[in-house]
Amino acid sequence: MYAETLSTRIVATAPSMDEASLIRAAQKGDQDAFEHLVRSYDQSVLRIAMNLLRSPDEARDVYQETFLKVFRNLHSFRFDCTFHTWLYRIATNICLDHLRRRKVRREESAVAETSEGTVDRMARFEDSGPHSDPERQTWNRQLSSRISGALEELTPRERTVFELRHYEGLRLRAIGEILGTTEEAAKNCLFRATQKMRTSLESFA
Amino acid sequence: MSRNPKCAEIVNEIPLYCYGEVSEETEERLESHLAGCADCRAELARHRSFLDLMDSRVNQESDMMLAACRNNLRAEIAREAENPMRAAWREGAWLEAIRRFARFQIPFRVPVGAVALVALGFFAARITPQRFGGIQAGVGDAMFSNVRSVEADPAGGGVRIAVDEVRRRVVTGSPRDAQIQELLVSAARDENNPGVRVESITILKDGADLESVRSALLDALTRDPNPGVRLKALDGLKAWAGNPTVRRSLAEVLLKDDNPAVRIQAIDLLTAHRDDSIVGVLQHVVQREDNDYVRTRTTRLLEEMGASVGTY
Repeated sequence: MYAETLSTRIVATAPSMDEASLIRAAQKGDQDAFEHLVRSYDQSVLRIAMNLLRSPDEARDVYQETFLKVFRNLHSFRFDCTFHTWLYRIATNICLDHLRRRKVRREESAVAETSEGTVDRMARFEDSGPHSDPERQTWNRQLSSRISGALEELTPRERTVFELRHYEGLRLRAIGEILGTTEEAAKNCLFRATQKMRTSLESFA
Repeated sequence: MSRNPKCAEIVNEIPLYCYGEVSEETEERLESHLAGCADCRAELARHRSFLDLMDSRVNQESDMMLAACRNNLRAEIAREAENPMRAAWREGAWLEAIRRFARFQIPFRVPVGAVALVALGFFAARITPQRFGGIQAGVGDAMFSNVRSVEADPAGGGVRIAVDEVRRRVVTGSPRDAQIQELLVSAARDENNPGVRVESITILKDGADLESVRSALLDALTRDPNPGVRLKALDGLKAWAGNPTVRRSLAEVLLKDDNPAVRIQAIDLLTAHRDDSIVGVLQHVVQREDNDYVRTRTTRLLEEMGASVGTY
């Protein structure tokens, strides 16, 4: 893959630099160091954006916006928190903005009601894997639709906390830092989110 | 669910317990309760099966999508690197620069401040009206002056100077206005300023139904040296991917553009409409393309068109 080749090249240019050194080098304008930093985290950022927004176009926008913001503001990063907390804070804020704007604009939701039942708009995207098992695909489609439907019932903040804790495995303390709130508030948010999700998915489980 | 108040308390702790987010004390209390309470154990099992269900969700992002995002980001950063002032201004980095400057050592600040004051005095004198001894009126707000000739004016006892002036004029109007469009088309070809080109293309792309605008977009797509500008032009041509002229340019981009992000966008647009006339180009692309995504899409398109992938 092209990405892997490039990744190898970049690793070769920055063989043994730790993250702090990479950040400092990137702050001085070293573009290879910046790209190395991007590649350490960009898959997570894209995954969070995809899972929160359920829209490839919006996820691409969030990816671009996040890393451009990082690029433009890296000079102001003072190591007051970890780089990944800072980066996730930027990414989740952008995602939350998208979710809130979507709510205001009443954009089309990630799931649609059709004559065949609830369909996840992302299902088309998911189907592109060439050799997937059809039964598995159907199951994944149904599951994705139900999970998307359940996630849409959550508030943007509950959704973000759930995503970061459940899928990204971040500790609630870190999530609190990212969202600019306390660990306790993040805990309450996660509790509410799991309760709502369980209720929504009870029949499916 | 159990009505025992203690059970209710335990059940509330289960979600956080499963994530390992309870204190050691709570964990011990919960585990000792679970050992003796079948209802709460059943609730724990139900919660774990809910978590398993959530784990079986398929992640949506793909390697191809990630590669495309990386390419777009690289193009955008390259664009910003070419025009850092614009980016800095937009992001408020100028404010940070002023703050940083304010933190410099006093011995450095004093001479710089003095020079700034002298410069201020100099420019103030230039714009001060004549009665205060300033420069003669007439040059006005010229951006650039070039003295063409100087001759003595025997009649008046003064001199006559011929000056070429370039003045800044602010023109405002709707992007659909013919004069504005003419200016935008011209700005889109400004070879000295990629920032101006990107902005112009961004505005023009909504008016691609006009042939003059489409032609400017096609020009930018095939000739602009900046990938950011070419990507914007591609964006503007999205709705015209079925137009034969546009398709020919897209095919040309596929063959010649050195930026994979641009080629990825081009193949995405080409695949949106089937057109047998580009089979030859696509076959050529498969032969020489080094980007996996573009090659795979092109191969798939050829297969869908029933055309040969390997020989021609």
